[in-house]
Amino acid sequence: MKKEEIYERLNNVFRDIFDDESIVVNENTTANDIEDWDSLEHINLIVAVEQEFGMKFNMNEVTSMKNVGEMASIILERATK
Amino acid sequence: MGLISINFLLLAVITIVLYFIIPKKVSWVVLLVASLIFLFYDNFNIKRVLEALIVFGTSYSCGILIDKYHDSKKAKVFLVLGIAIIIGLLSYLKYSNLFINTVNHMLSIINLPYSFKLVKHSSLIGLSYYSLIMISYLVDIYRGTNKSEKNPFKLALFMSYFPILTSGPFIKYNEMKEHLYNGHKFDYDRMCRGLLRIAWGLFKILVISLRIGIFVDKVYGDINTFNGVYIIIAMLLYTTQLYTNFSGSIDIIMGVSEIMGIPLPENFTAPFFSRTITELWRNWHITLGGWLRDYIFYPLLKSNVMQKLNKVCKEKFGKKIGKKIPLYLSMLIMWILIGIWHSGAYSMIIGSGLLQFVYMFFEDNLSPLAKKVNKKLKIDSDSKSYHIYQTIRTYVLFSFSMIFFRALSVKRALKTIKNIFVWNPWVLFDNKSIYEAGLDILDFRVLIIALIVLFVVEKISRKEDVRDKLFKCNIFLRWTLLYALIFAIIIFGCYGVGYDPAKFIYQQF
Repeated sequence: MKKEEIYERLNNVFRDIFDDESIVVNENTTANDIEDWDSLEHINLIVAVEQEFGMKFNMNEVTSMKNVGEMASIILERATK
Repeated sequence: MGLISINFLLLAVITIVLYFIIPKKVSWVVLLVASLIFLFYDNFNIKRVLEALIVFGTSYSCGILIDKYHDSKKAKVFLVLGIAIIIGLLSYLKYSNLFINTVNHMLSIINLPYSFKLVKHSSLIGLSYYSLIMISYLVDIYRGTNKSEKNPFKLALFMSYFPILTSGPFIKYNEMKEHLYNGHKFDYDRMCRGLLRIAWGLFKILVISLRIGIFVDKVYGDINTFNGVYIIIAMLLYTTQLYTNFSGSIDIIMGVSEIMGIPLPENFTAPFFSRTITELWRNWHITLGGWLRDYIFYPLLKSNVMQKLNKVCKEKFGKKIGKKIPLYLSMLIMWILIGIWHSGAYSMIIGSGLLQFVYMFFEDNLSPLAKKVNKKLKIDSDSKSYHIYQTIRTYVLFSFSMIFFRALSVKRALKTIKNIFVWNPWVLFDNKSIYEAGLDILDFRVLIIALIVLFVVEKISRKEDVRDKLFKCNIFLRWTLLYALIFAIIIFGCYGVGYDPAKFIYQQF
């Protein structure tokens, strides 16, 4: 799977979770860049990403992920779908 | 051992001096000895040593076993066993009386002439903190964030590091191990920064918190005489009393730790500039919030049960409402746990738990409505005045919930709230009544000036490090401010007879 494809699919997940069609994520996007991305929405986002790519983040990754770039590299390493 | 006592001063000074004299490789041993002295100084008895040993022994052995069986199912067994023993002990020591009280209450309701005797426990200083810290140590090994500590003495230091035993902050093993076990060279600038932080903590506690405490204790001690306006003022002041006491003690211990080159995580970032309760809790007792998020809230939300509930709710109620239900349920569980952790009393569960949940629930659900109303009334919600309104509203709501925290029983809290509705605004204007509640006119003036100083410092701290800013000032201004701080503590600190400054509000947890 290519990085571009991951970001494309991540965009769809983010748009769906945060109900905002204008969201475009890149590797530097953080919770500060998206208004509704707080700790409450974080888990919904994580679970949606897991479902989209057919993989699991471990708890350590869930709590320490700093930006979308880190998320994408974990997906690249582990995704099955 | 209170933080503001000769004993603590001696312990801190001797520890710091020895820490820098002894070879760097073994200087952590000094910290371990100091920590054990701190932990057992007040009441050294077999029971307390045994409690600490159970938590320590469990963490040490389960940590190594989780590491050993990392890839097999046994790791989970040892994790669960470790957590169960620690939580079991904590619950027994902290909550057995709450349980017995509840059972007795129920028995009395159904008119059974039988009641159970309460259990007597010794002081629990440190227990609430080191128990949660050791749970995070075990969970982090299980999650692969860190390896287990093989040296039992080093682990004992992590568990009992004396600065954090009184009121936190919660630390994590992988963030602390480098700092705790590798010695540090003495650094003059670091010492100045540490001392300044200690002085600021003393100012907050001695000049502000204890002074407010006199008024609040008097009002809460006799809510029939001091009702109406008195209670409103006490309610508003108590929040600041709690904050300056709690964050002041954190400043003192962080200063001590900083002098030795061991940074601790921040626990407060100017919480009362927050515009919502949700934001306030992101800036208040940050490390407890972080602990609950990492070890309870996230795992709970991500669990299969919650995910299934999520799916069912989304199908039944639609996507938007559906996804909120598991979220609120997890929040509710977490807030009840926060209340329980603070103490077993129902008033705490309501004040620092349920009410906070209710606030957040309404904040989340009423904000679209508020937006509509503002639009209709042409109120600019981005304006400075609206932000000030939101900040004040948040402070008042939080203060209201703290009535339960302060009143110590639900019955008394409700009576206090009832007594607010006595119409007596003239006590503010007759030039004498307000001074009958423990603080005279001079005390009020000192308090107001001190609160303005606090406000300014907190405001600056939101943008930059206040100490950096002070050290950048020219030499005259810098020394004038430093002397002003020191003399303010000496002259305006509350050291009154019969008033024990070391009695920290938070120590009892």
